[in-house]
Amino acid sequence: MERHHIIAFSLLAIVVVVCTLAGREFLRMHEPDEIIPGPGVTSTVSLSTYFGALAGTSSDANVYVLDSGRQGATALVLGGTHPNEPAGFMTAVVLTEHVTVQTGRLIVIPQVCSSGFTCTDPLEGYPQSFSVQSRTKLRSFRFGARGSNPITEWPDPLVFLQYPSGQQLSGNEVRNLNRSYPGRPDGTVTERVAYAVMRLIEREKVDIAFDLHEAAPEIPIINAIVTHEKGKDAAASALFTLESENLQYALEMSPPNFHGLSHREWGDRSPVFPYLMETSNPIQGRLRGVTNEELVVKGIDQKYYEAAQIGSMRITYDLAGEPLARRVGRHLRGLQALLGAYMEAMPEKGIVVEGIPAYEEIVARGLGEYLH
Amino acid sequence: MKRALILIVTATLILLTTASTVMLSQSKPKYDQPVLITSAGQSADVTIAGTLFKKANVQAKALPLAKAADLEGIKTLVVVAGFSSKGLGAAGISREQELTRVQSILQAAKEKKLKIMMLHIGGKARRGNQSDDFNKMAAEVSSYLLVVKQGDEDQFFSKIAGEKKIAIDLVDKIVDAVQPVAKAFAK
Repeated sequence: MERHHIIAFSLLAIVVVVCTLAGREFLRMHEPDEIIPGPGVTSTVSLSTYFGALAGTSSDANVYVLDSGRQGATALVLGGTHPNEPAGFMTAVVLTEHVTVQTGRLIVIPQVCSSGFTCTDPLEGYPQSFSVQSRTKLRSFRFGARGSNPITEWPDPLVFLQYPSGQQLSGNEVRNLNRSYPGRPDGTVTERVAYAVMRLIEREKVDIAFDLHEAAPEIPIINAIVTHEKGKDAAASALFTLESENLQYALEMSPPNFHGLSHREWGDRSPVFPYLMETSNPIQGRLRGVTNEELVVKGIDQKYYEAAQIGSMRITYDLAGEPLARRVGRHLRGLQALLGAYMEAMPEKGIVVEGIPAYEEIVARGLGEYLH
Repeated sequence: MKRALILIVTATLILLTTASTVMLSQSKPKYDQPVLITSAGQSADVTIAGTLFKKANVQAKALPLAKAADLEGIKTLVVVAGFSSKGLGAAGISREQELTRVQSILQAAKEKKLKIMMLHIGGKARRGNQSDDFNKMAAEVSSYLLVVKQGDEDQFFSKIAGEKKIAIDLVDKIVDAVQPVAKAFAK
């Protein structure tokens, strides 16, 4: 064998090793996160219970039911509609692992777009996971992509025609669960997940539902509650409660002509009061610097601090950043205030959830304190 | 001599304080019902304003897209300023159409000699280029501005109030606006 052959084979071997290691690392994202049902969870089912075609696919998801056994309202909480918005699904994880329900029923899906947790968005430099120290161990959670894994429904069309509205959106939005409601049984993978969620809302007679999100600090709709028109009075009332506790939220109305969104389609097509909440997450922003696990958890970014100093930010952003614990705390407190306002508006429909950590408590003690 | 000087200075200070208090209270107009609340920019703050007026025990009709014809029988127009793209989407109109609508209702209110009050309760989220056209338009024709402080960190509203000699109250939170509203409509 000549020298150049040896060099070529050696290089080829190095490439094979590097690709294998990188591939193994990437495939680790298919290993599900450990979510430990807490004392309030009375049963765990799969999303495929509501639409069988999801069974055995990477798009099926765990559904945790916390049933008090006492008649009351049923609330649904979705985390992970966008798997790159960790405060959304971590809030759902805290609910699953930590709270109990005294009246009514709480249904939680922490990672509803489960296939989106099996990859990251290209060219963003996102970490594949982040860790939170709980009271007993270091817990690791995946940081996924905005939409379903492209491998499940490749290729994206040039233009996404939303079903059934016919609204035109950019092609990659075809994998965005929050553009896919009400979904359809014979549609794309993402549309099937949306269809399953709609069937769950219908079959479980959900009264109030939450879709938990995050957004870049520079966009106007952050620290916000988006409401369907039927839920606006309860939202305004909740906002007063939150504001009196120094938690400022913007109230935004769901546009009736923007289709496929949870707050629009759930509200139009079922009796549910739907709410979408947004916190501010620097790792999603365009101004961010180093993009790593620390940014996910601590939310500290020098560039956002500088932007705030020159008055370019619409939220207060200081050197303490926007840590994950604070973002989860906002979601939890927002959810609690909306449940309270809903009960005021519908006194015959009670739901009492105990053990939701107070905002100040979770900020002071950290997120891990409320995880197993 | 020294005692006389102290007396004169003290008396002057008391007079000045009293006069400024009187002037300040005179500059805050009293408002009458019926009240129409409308938006300038279609933010959902108009819904919050509705709740705020309820808490202040002031009956008010909230019409985010109110037109000049809706002013019939109204004595006070409350304009809740602040832009929202989602709100405009919900209303199905463009920013330009909203600017035209707001201009026209403010003009009609002026012609009818209605009292106009402006609320800005959305803080920083309702500031910036998109919002400030609406904020300025509403503030300049109002006789009273009630603003949550966070929206006036750069004195945007305070400057307008100063230049146009408009009464202004800055409050820390939305909930703190309940009392000034109740006071403004008290008989």
